[in-house]
Amino acid sequence: RSGSKHGTTPADNYYLARRRTLQVVVSSLLTEAGFESAEKAAVETLTEMLQSYISEIGRSAKSYCEHTARTQPTLSDIVVTLVEMGFNVELLPAYAKRSQRMVITAPPVTNQPVTPKALTAGQNKPHPSHIPSHFPEFPDPHTYIKTPTYREPVSDYQVLREKAASQRRDVERALTRFMAKTGETQSLFKDDVSTFPLIAARPFTVPYLTALLPSELEMQQMEETDSSEQEEQTDTENLPLHMGTDDSGPEKENSSVLQQNSSLAGSRNGEENVIDNPYLRPVKKPKIRRKK
Amino acid sequence: AVPVSAAAAPPEGAMSNGVYVPSAANGDVKPVVSSTPLVDFLLQLEDYTPTIPDAVTGYYLNRAGFEASDPRIIRLISLAAQKFISDIANDALQHCKMKGTTSGSSRGKSKDKKYTLTMEDLAPALAEYGINVKKPHYFT
Repeated sequence: RSGSKHGTTPADNYYLARRRTLQVVVSSLLTEAGFESAEKAAVETLTEMLQSYISEIGRSAKSYCEHTARTQPTLSDIVVTLVEMGFNVELLPAYAKRSQRMVITAPPVTNQPVTPKALTAGQNKPHPSHIPSHFPEFPDPHTYIKTPTYREPVSDYQVLREKAASQRRDVERALTRFMAKTGETQSLFKDDVSTFPLIAARPFTVPYLTALLPSELEMQQMEETDSSEQEEQTDTENLPLHMGTDDSGPEKENSSVLQQNSSLAGSRNGEENVIDNPYLRPVKKPKIRRKK
Repeated sequence: AVPVSAAAAPPEGAMSNGVYVPSAANGDVKPVVSSTPLVDFLLQLEDYTPTIPDAVTGYYLNRAGFEASDPRIIRLISLAAQKFISDIANDALQHCKMKGTTSGSSRGKSKDKKYTLTMEDLAPALAEYGINVKKPHYFT
């Protein structure tokens, strides 16, 4: 409590002022008893005893009062407290009459320590009517109200369309430039190669092949329906027949494409290594199960 | 001699301050003074200011949870605390005087009026109250 700290807060000052008053009181009582001087340790001891005596009377009187289901202590509570502490209450009036000499007019520090309102922002919410006023206040509103700090996104239709269009254009441009940088390019101008690079078109030997071959997704779907058709053995014969023709058709083309791919790539012997640029690898088509 | 039913109005027996005191029968039961002894004294306290200011005593009582409705109660408590300390001081003075005059220094005049309260006098005075203080002789 009493600080060995160097800094004293207003609460500490408030407390120390009263303690000093008690020390003055003890000194005056000692003087009254006949002492001229006293040891510091003795005065400190008596001050501490006085303070704890007062506190103990307060605590004990409060306990007695609450023991009888009251909240306000009365004279009887204090008398009982004093009796319990070994104090002879009958001698008290005699003592009062005898020592009517020294009166300390040492007023304590009057400013009460106010808890500093650190970082208060905004008005606190006032108490609703069912809460008594001696209860603590509500916390600052910033502790429970959240204000988003981002701006609302623009929801104007025109702005959004423009934004989407410009984004799409940028993406396309970036992608084509990337492909031009990593692949073969053709240029429109004879002298300047790098200004407007065009992705070089690779001519297929069989140009209509891509139109005939189904895409990978379609082939997967076809495989799944094939398996389901095989297990269920549906009555419709059109579908299996149709798929059969489709399978056999692209199957032949597939083999030819594979041969061409191998010839184009050169060093591929069914191994899947060596090509380090994944964007330059030829497309791998899934294997088609041989239909019945 | 003690009335059996407590609910019955006491027909006999001294009434003082509204408190029922059972009448003494054959000197067996002495009537105990059951009125609060300090009621009258409390009225005298209105114009008497004890040494400890009311604010200081009130501060320490508030810290203990004691909310005083009557300022005279606070004065009573401060007076009791004062008496407590001055009793101890008087006992210490007795000790001091005893130590001084046992050696038989000066017969004619009494011992010099300069008494200093030391821990050596205070310790036995407090020991009689059951408070044991032991202060170190040195501070490291």
